[in-house]
Amino acid sequence: MTAATTIPYQQVRDDLWRPLAGASKRYTLTLALLCAVALWGLIAWGYQIHKGIGVAGIRRPVFWGFYLVDFVFWIGISHAGTLISAILRLTDANWRKPVTRAAEAITAFALMIGGMFPLIHLGRVWLFYWLFPYPNSRLLWPNFRSPLMWDVTAISTYLTGSLIFLYLPLIPDVAQLAEHATGLRLRLYRVMAMGWSGSDREWHALERAMKLMAGIILAVAVSVHSVVAWDFAMAITPMWHSTIFAPYFVVGAIFSGLAGLIVALNIIRKTMHLERYLTPHHFGNLAKLLLLMSLLWLYFTFAEHLTVWYGNEPKEMNVFNARVRGHFSPEFWVMVFVNFVVPFVLLGIKRLRSITTATIASIGVLIGMWLERYLIIIPPLSLPRLAAAAGRYSPSWVEISITVATFASMGAMYLVFSKLFPIVSVWEFEADEEEEE
Amino acid sequence: MSLYLTGTFRDKREAIQAIEQLKANGYGPEDLTVFSDEPVELPRGVLDRKSYMSLVVVSGAVVFFLLVVAFVYYSQYNYPLVTGGMPIFSFWPTGVVFYEITMLGAILTTLGWFVWESGLLRRDKGVPVPVIEPEAICLRVRCAAQQYEATAAVLERAGAKNVAKLEKAA
Repeated sequence: MTAATTIPYQQVRDDLWRPLAGASKRYTLTLALLCAVALWGLIAWGYQIHKGIGVAGIRRPVFWGFYLVDFVFWIGISHAGTLISAILRLTDANWRKPVTRAAEAITAFALMIGGMFPLIHLGRVWLFYWLFPYPNSRLLWPNFRSPLMWDVTAISTYLTGSLIFLYLPLIPDVAQLAEHATGLRLRLYRVMAMGWSGSDREWHALERAMKLMAGIILAVAVSVHSVVAWDFAMAITPMWHSTIFAPYFVVGAIFSGLAGLIVALNIIRKTMHLERYLTPHHFGNLAKLLLLMSLLWLYFTFAEHLTVWYGNEPKEMNVFNARVRGHFSPEFWVMVFVNFVVPFVLLGIKRLRSITTATIASIGVLIGMWLERYLIIIPPLSLPRLAAAAGRYSPSWVEISITVATFASMGAMYLVFSKLFPIVSVWEFEADEEEEE
Repeated sequence: MSLYLTGTFRDKREAIQAIEQLKANGYGPEDLTVFSDEPVELPRGVLDRKSYMSLVVVSGAVVFFLLVVAFVYYSQYNYPLVTGGMPIFSFWPTGVVFYEITMLGAILTTLGWFVWESGLLRRDKGVPVPVIEPEAICLRVRCAAQQYEATAAVLERAGAKNVAKLEKAA
């Protein structure tokens, strides 16, 4: 039995509900700062809408710049929660219980952010609804064969599923919170609880629904990042037209998602004083998973580059050389260092493995995975098959502002969520206690 | 006339014993409800609830699949794109759209059926709900007025505390 399971129930509830009450000065300041950065991103986007997409750094031949890098990165981060939580739920891994809600919340917010990028990237965003299938006077229907249409359906389905997957296990907690809340909170919790009374019918239905949702969401999560990979792989652009792109992307998504989860959990643990609930045991397990994903990522990266190098096709080799020993090599080797070397040393050697090293490795992985998305998108577009069309890309202040703002938005949404709902599931924590006894 | 009474248990085994006793006295699963603030796993056969969730979810997925295929098929024919001699409607390139909408059907049906099967939004307002103490298991029994004494005795014998008639909350 872990130390955490000996905590009396009342103490568990008090500890996990404590962060919901009031807002400290530090919390308010942090939230204000994050909102200010997010607002700056919105202003930058507004400027782009006003002046036109030309204010971004995207130029021929690089039509997909930071916006697509961010899109793929955030969709990848979204795999933190739903996929990890679903896998751990299906395999009945008991240690998952304090971790799942934090992970599921990451998914929902990361998807909201990622889902914004196709809109940000649109030239005339006010016509975004043209993406949706509806009969119109121009006799134009969306092309259902287009990978962009695949994205719309995949991300919409994943977002719907993730929100429901986050919401269902929240119901028992909000029902309990409703008994003690007042004012607006009371109204919110009551509506969300839908009259939950804790009857065995409700518990049975919830458990069945969660099991089914875990299976469904697993299938959807894999498909979503496969579809994102096929956005690239369906084109004959050098180093995109690869059969392993879908699994490569899925592995990368889980890898970056796990890293995001470890960083978020450590911040939650420190700021909300949940040291008794998020123990070194949880971080140890997550660190081992991160190490496993690091090795898988290395395997896929190696396989992808080896086949290109061995094939020696000139156009592919242009991109390969630019990545490995050319213009993009600093980014490439930093990526390899932080995605493989750092986790391998810090997490592979048992003596070095701790909450701090897991967090350091995770921050490195987040940087590395952002760079990986950058290296997948920019070099092949800079060096197209037609040599005369080659070009360079450098992001404008608008793109950088929007990119930074997305990280701030993620932090702000997470802060607000953690103030409204217990970030560790109270009822699940109790169940864990009983099972272990 | 039927009324509701409750007994509070601290031990799951006592609650199971009470349920078995009540079943032996002629009570069915529809008369018995267990309340708790965490899930209580009862052994198979003690208080089973039928569930059609898996079947309904698969049906929901199939319905959404058929709808999306029909939607894509008819919209592609009614507003044909220039395909350069390729088929107007092609199954495989639209497979991702079909797959995602099928899964969306499964997701929405899961939520809908959860709400239905748990009885959350179709609760009879006339049936009182007990207040659950932390870590307690509360057994609510629906019984005829003349059986109140006998039913309360069964609960008490099994180890229930605070056996009482349950009034509807004001």
